Amino acid sequence: MRQLSPWQELPLMEEDMSQSAVAELPLQPVQSRRFLKPETQTAMLFLLPSFLGFMIFMALPILASLGLSFTNWQLISTPSFVGFQNYIKLFTVDPAFYTILRNTLFFAVEYLALNIAVSLTLAVWISSLKRGKAIFRVIFFLPTFTPTIAASVVWLLIFTPDGLADAVIRALGLGLPNFLLNPTWAMQAIILVTLWANVGYNVVMFNAALDLVPKHYLEAATIDGANAWQQFWRIRLPLISPTVFFATVMTAITSLQVFDEIFAMTRGGPGSATATLGFAIYQKGFTNFQMGYASALAWVMFVMIMALTILQFHMQRKWVHYDD
Amino acid sequence: MKVLKKTLMLAAIGGSLFATAASAEQVNLTWQMWTGSDADTKSWQHLADMVTAKYPDIKVTLTTTGWVDYWTRLPVLAASGQLADIVSMQSLRMPNFYSLLEPLNDRIAADKFDVGAFTPSIIGGMSVDKQLYGLPYDVGPWVIYYNQDALEAAGVPLPKPGWTLAEFTDAAKKLTKDGKYGFGITPQNYSVLASAWGDKYVNDSGVLDLTNPSAIAAAETVIGFAAKDKIAPLVPSGADVGNVVQGRFYSGNVAMYVDGPWSIIGMKDKVKFKVGSTTLPRGEGELTAVTAGSGFGIATTSQNKDAAWKAIQVLTSPEALAFLAEGGRALPARTASQSSWYKVAAKDITNGGEAIDYSLTHSVPYVITNNWAAVENLFNQYFPPAFAGSADAKQTMDAIQSLAQQ
Repeated sequence: MRQLSPWQELPLMEEDMSQSAVAELPLQPVQSRRFLKPETQTAMLFLLPSFLGFMIFMALPILASLGLSFTNWQLISTPSFVGFQNYIKLFTVDPAFYTILRNTLFFAVEYLALNIAVSLTLAVWISSLKRGKAIFRVIFFLPTFTPTIAASVVWLLIFTPDGLADAVIRALGLGLPNFLLNPTWAMQAIILVTLWANVGYNVVMFNAALDLVPKHYLEAATIDGANAWQQFWRIRLPLISPTVFFATVMTAITSLQVFDEIFAMTRGGPGSATATLGFAIYQKGFTNFQMGYASALAWVMFVMIMALTILQFHMQRKWVHYDD
Repeated sequence: MKVLKKTLMLAAIGGSLFATAASAEQVNLTWQMWTGSDADTKSWQHLADMVTAKYPDIKVTLTTTGWVDYWTRLPVLAASGQLADIVSMQSLRMPNFYSLLEPLNDRIAADKFDVGAFTPSIIGGMSVDKQLYGLPYDVGPWVIYYNQDALEAAGVPLPKPGWTLAEFTDAAKKLTKDGKYGFGITPQNYSVLASAWGDKYVNDSGVLDLTNPSAIAAAETVIGFAAKDKIAPLVPSGADVGNVVQGRFYSGNVAMYVDGPWSIIGMKDKVKFKVGSTTLPRGEGELTAVTAGSGFGIATTSQNKDAAWKAIQVLTSPEALAFLAEGGRALPARTASQSSWYKVAAKDITNGGEAIDYSLTHSVPYVITNNWAAVENLFNQYFPPAFAGSADAKQTMDAIQSLAQQ
C-alpha cells in the first residue's frame, strides 16, 4: 500500500470539508456579480501609474523603433518607408556588422563566464568567513553604486598610454602592451572594468542564497566525510542553482547591452576592436543620424537577447534544481 | 454718478484694449545656445538683453545646454518640433543641420546687410552651396600653442608665424626628452594639419577621398609624429582625447599642441609657464589655415522669422562682438572688432595676436562632408593603433574611407 505524506493528505481533507460544508449551509440570496473584486480594483488602481509608464515609455518606443527600422529616418528629415533595406544592408553590405556581432558575443561569453565564476567564488569565500561578512559585502557592492560613466573615465586615465596600468605592467615585468592601443587587449580592459563595476551585485545575491542553505545538510555531509569541495559541488551549488540561473540570465542580458564602458573608454576603438551592438546603435543613431539603421540594429540585438534567454530557459532543466 | 460709472467703464475697456494691442505687438523669441560656465551664460543673457534694448517689443528667452549635449539635443528637438526661434550653430556642424535653418541670402540682399564686414572664411563656414544660413559671432583658426619656458630651456628659438613643417619637426624633436614630448596630437588634428599643408582629403565634388596620394601623404606625416619620430605621446581612442592632450600640455608634459583661440580664456589660469602661440606649420607652399566658428540662424519652424532676423543682427553687431571680445569670450567674426580681443585675451600670449592674424590672412574654409561627425569618429577609432605602429597610413585611410561610406 502506497504511503501518503501529510502534504498529500491535505487536499483530500479540504475537498471533503468543502463538500460537507456546501451540503449543510443554507442557500444564500444571489448577489450581483461584480466585474472585479474590490481588492483587485485597488490593486489595479495602484498598478495603473506603473502600467501607463510602461506603455508610454517602453511599449510605444519599442513598437516605434520596429516601425522606424523599416524607414530611412535621419532624425531631422521626414522618414520614408524602405522595407527590409536596413536589414539587408546590415547582413550583406555593412563591412562592420559582423565584427560588431563577433565583438558583442565575445564580450558576452567571456564576461558572463568570468562574472559568474568570480562572484560565486567571492560569495563562497565571504560565506565561509566567521567575521567581517557585512564589510566585504559592502566593499564588493560599492562599485555598483558608482555611475558607470564616471568610473569608466577614471579607468580610462588608468589605462591611458603611460598611465598607471602601464607603470604597473612595467614594474611587474609582464611585457604586456598598452591595453587601449592594442586591438587584442582592448576588450579585456572593457571586461575588467565591467567586472569591477558589476560583480558585487551577484556576490551579494549568491551570498544571500548560500546563507539560506540549511546547515543540517552540510552537517550531515560532514559526518559522511564529504570535503569542502564535495559539499559545495553536491549540496550548496544545486541548492542555490535557481539563484545562479537568475543571475546568469540577467547578466547575459546586460552583457549583450554593454555601452557605458565602451562609450567612455574606447569609443569602439582601437580600430573596431571594442565596437559592440550597444555602442553601434548609439553611434549610428545619434552621431551619424541614421535612426532607421540604428533601429534595425536594436532589433537584431533584441532577437539575440531573446534567443539567448530562451536557450537559457531551455537549458535550465539540466542543471537548475527547484525544491518543489 | 452714472456718467462717472460710464466713464470708468469706458476707460477700463479702452485700457484693456490698449493692453491687448500692446501685448499683440510684443514678440517673444526663444534662443538655444551652448554654455560652458555661469560666466558664459551671463554673457549670452547680456546679448539677449541687448536685443530688447534695441527693439523693446522683442524679448529673447535664452535656454542653454552644455556643448556636448547641445548636439545630441538639437536633432531631437528638431524631430519633436521644439526648435527655438534662434538656433546657435557651429560651422563644422552646419553641413549636418543647415536644413533646420532659414536661408538668409534674400534677407541680406533686401536689407543690404554688410556680409563683407566678417572674416570671409567664417562666412564660408556658415554657408552651404553659397547660401548663408547663419550670422557668425566668432571665428578661429587652429594654431600651435607652445610652452615658452620649455622651448627656451631646450634652446629652441621661438617659432615665427609661417614656419615650415621641417622647422616644426626639428623643434619637437629637441623638446622630446626626459619622458616629455615635443608635440601632443589627437586623431582629429588630421584634417586641420592636412589642410594647412594643402593636402586634399575631400575631392572637388565634395566627396570624402581619403585614399588619394595627397590624403595618404598627410596621414603618413601625422601618424609618423607618434609612430616614427616618437615626438608625440600615444593616445587612446576614448572620449575627449583633445582634453587629455590639453591636460598634458597644461601639466608641462607636452610642449606644443594644436588648439583654437577659444581655449585661451581658460589657459592662462591653468598653466605655470609662459604660453606662446604660432601658426600651424606649413608644407611646401603657403600656409592654408582652416577656421571654425559659430553663429546664429533662424529656425525654419519659427513663427517670428522677421523678429528673429532683427535679433540675430543685434547678437552679431559690432557692440555685441566687442562685449564678447572684451570678456575674452570669442575672437569676433567681424574683422573690425578683432583688435579688442587681441588687447584682452591674447595680450599675455607671446605672439598670440600675430599667429591669429597670420592664420586669418592665410585662412581657407574648412572643407568637410555632410557626415563629418561620423568621419571624425572613425579618425578617433583608427588613428590610435596607427600611432602605436600596428597599421600604416594607407591601411588606416582605406579602413576609414570604407566605413565612412556606409
